[in-house]
Amino acid sequence: MAYKFKKQIFGFMDLLRFKKMVPKRREKLAQGSEKALPVSYRVNETAKILHPGFQKGKLIEIIQNTPDTKTFVFQTERPFYSRAGQYLTVGCNIGESRVARPYAVSSAPKAALNKKMSVTVKKSGFFSGYLFDNAKVGDEFTIGDPSGDFCYEPVKDSKNVLAIAGGSGITPFYSMAQAIADGTEDFHLTILYGAKTEKDIIFKKELDKLSSDKIKIVYVLSDEKKEEYENGFIGAELIKKYVSGDFTVMMCGPQAMYSFVDKELVSFNLPLRRVKKEANCVGVRDVKDEVYNITVHIGFEKYCIKASACETVLVAMERAGINAPSKCRAGGCGFCHSRLVSGKFSIVGADKRRLADVKFGYFHPCCSYPDSDMEIVVPRT
Amino acid sequence: MKKYDAVVIGAGNGGLVAAIRLLQGGAKVLLVEKHNLPGGFATSFRRGRFEFEASLHELNDFGTKDNAGDVRDLFDSLGVTDKIEWLQIPEAYRVIVKSENLDATMPFGVEEFIAKMESYVPGSRESMRKFFDLAEEIRLAQAYSSSVNGHTDSKVMVSKYGNFVRCGSYSVNEVLRTLKMPQKAIDILSAYWCYLGAHLDDMSFVHYASMVNRYIRRGASMPKMRSHEISLALVSRILELGGEVLYNTEAVKILQDEKDGGVAGVVLSDGTNVATRHVVANCAPHLVFGKMLERVSPADIRATNARKFAGRGFTMFLGLNRTAEELGVENHNYFLYDTSDTVKQYDIMKTIRGNSAQATVCLNRAYPECSPKGTCMMYFTTLYMSDDWGNVKAEDYFKTKNYVANKMIDRFERDTGAKIRDSIEEISVATPMTYARYCGHPEGVIYGYESQYWDGLMPRLLMMGEDHTVRGLRFAGGYSMRLSGYSSAYFSGDISGRQTVGDIKKEG
Repeated sequence: MAYKFKKQIFGFMDLLRFKKMVPKRREKLAQGSEKALPVSYRVNETAKILHPGFQKGKLIEIIQNTPDTKTFVFQTERPFYSRAGQYLTVGCNIGESRVARPYAVSSAPKAALNKKMSVTVKKSGFFSGYLFDNAKVGDEFTIGDPSGDFCYEPVKDSKNVLAIAGGSGITPFYSMAQAIADGTEDFHLTILYGAKTEKDIIFKKELDKLSSDKIKIVYVLSDEKKEEYENGFIGAELIKKYVSGDFTVMMCGPQAMYSFVDKELVSFNLPLRRVKKEANCVGVRDVKDEVYNITVHIGFEKYCIKASACETVLVAMERAGINAPSKCRAGGCGFCHSRLVSGKFSIVGADKRRLADVKFGYFHPCCSYPDSDMEIVVPRT
Repeated sequence: MKKYDAVVIGAGNGGLVAAIRLLQGGAKVLLVEKHNLPGGFATSFRRGRFEFEASLHELNDFGTKDNAGDVRDLFDSLGVTDKIEWLQIPEAYRVIVKSENLDATMPFGVEEFIAKMESYVPGSRESMRKFFDLAEEIRLAQAYSSSVNGHTDSKVMVSKYGNFVRCGSYSVNEVLRTLKMPQKAIDILSAYWCYLGAHLDDMSFVHYASMVNRYIRRGASMPKMRSHEISLALVSRILELGGEVLYNTEAVKILQDEKDGGVAGVVLSDGTNVATRHVVANCAPHLVFGKMLERVSPADIRATNARKFAGRGFTMFLGLNRTAEELGVENHNYFLYDTSDTVKQYDIMKTIRGNSAQATVCLNRAYPECSPKGTCMMYFTTLYMSDDWGNVKAEDYFKTKNYVANKMIDRFERDTGAKIRDSIEEISVATPMTYARYCGHPEGVIYGYESQYWDGLMPRLLMMGEDHTVRGLRFAGGYSMRLSGYSSAYFSGDISGRQTVGDIKKEG
């Protein structure tokens, strides 16, 4: 190359400088402080409050809300903080099984900073039944990380949120209402709350007390006609009566409610960005009950377990007492991300895996049913 | 007790490559990762109908089959290139400094780049050509250095790579001024600086020129299924070679040999003790010397304390319900700055309040099918040059996050004229807390140790031998000898993996 780089008058001075780089760095490294290195950092400590991971929670209070709903109040080991509308898992051992379920947090986000948190549970399945009938004050549970995106998103959501709640689907909205009242959140919340009869309404007194210029609650009874309540199902007419202009819809309730409301919303022509639905846990599937063998590798261990074709791979692991990772139980959060070595499975609902997961044979046991014997590699919890 | 020839701590880009190199060298390897996914920053996540890329803007130095870069050569020898579907990024970048009326869109290809620069800055051609000549000589000198494993012959260096040696100790700004490059051309050429995260009075010319040269000469690449595809491809190779990988498993301690203080084992988060005499740590020396090792020499404490953390990361991900065309998002890759003076810009990026500088990508401009028809995806990244996020309390966290997100959207709309706010369908924001949570990095740092003048690429490479202070312990990833960035992290894993194979062989 014809061009000769030279910064100083004589090229050799540039060469000398090059040679000094090592002694210079050596000197700088030796000049560092002799003080012990930090064990943690402020950002990392805050991250631990925002994402506390699994921790122990002691049941300190049980409140009966309705004949089939109870609120369980926990004292956690560590303070934490999350967004109103998020869920977390509550788990424990029941007999031989290791079980955990996601529940929307019904307390205000601020309460968790004082290590208090509650979930409100309707008696409906295996674990909720256990909680309802057997859990007592003083019992210890494993509490998971607050998770999920069923939250008000001020950067993109309308300032006016229409909440549509069915039954115990009121819980995340009760948390949001408390967050608005205590100044944590700032938006207008109109809740259309569907319940069968007056006595099935959870948090009636508390919600009425929270009503303000920002929070409006409308109770909609399906099986009972009463003066001060709306009645029937939550449909287009009712929605038009209570909201107008630009609004974001947030729905939490049973699948049947989603299907009904989805049809009712068609006439509003809302873009996807204006509609959020909280996912429901995957249940059983209606097929012939075959039994398959699943070889599960987890950590350094290997287990051979039985699995029913009707239940998810995750449930099979839980029944076998394996401490398998689980969070959303709806295929969306990816926490149970596992690798398929061999065998076949079917996914319920939409495939929410990443593209490369599909390509390289990874799957989510929480939403997958076995279709054959399988061998899988599961991360530990 | 479980016994391995080597344990790799962390399945980030460096750790994954190190594991493959160790396995190829015949070692029995355990790779442990505290998260439930491999890749570290190299991953993706789903929100609604979008799958977002977590961090990769464009992969440097990969090239094409006919114009292969060093990363492709590395991936070929690891046996992973064909496990991944690649696409090419269409153009280098668009840099906008609105306050200075600077708005330049630069192409890939050396000739094209020089010609475009001449059209923006008449009279810049000669200095630009010198820049690329110098940069190419640097590349060749580095290739020579790697081929002899760093044991370079100084006569060869001076006779064949004299320019490299003569410019090797200077900062970017010192060299560009020596080349008599017009200031506006320097401003346009400087745009990539935030990819390395040190201002150009500090950053070594060799480091910067080497990166720019690789981008412009070979173009940039992207895996179709986001960087998660690379990470899973690397894992699948590790498994093919008989390696073991454990997720949700943190290495909490490195056990030391009574006699020499070197590596004797690793304690995992579930309490398991694993015996090994070799560790490749794909994490910060601050963590290893700060809490994983019991006995640390005063020299290692001093050396670690002497180093400066580089940028702490912040990224906003948007899934938009209109196409890039409809929104007026014209380019793949934007750099939006307040000033083209990188020293001043660096200073502005110290505070949450001050900073809205951004490197923004619209992936659909490189890969239109990356999101559903009628939509597009964007991600906006910035760096914080101080620990300002350490001042944010948990209860103010979400408000602060939204404050910065709004500021970045406003900035993008103002600087480019595009309208995106009313089309946001999905939003997700990663802050220093997010990076601290997933990858464990101190302060949420995403760039390792800063490429300060005295701690830049050249001196780190030249001191690789003496930086190896604990028997059996080597580092890979952004904190190590190749500094940060995807390709650098892959190379560091290659180097530390191969060196550890050598260490194992020496022990017999």
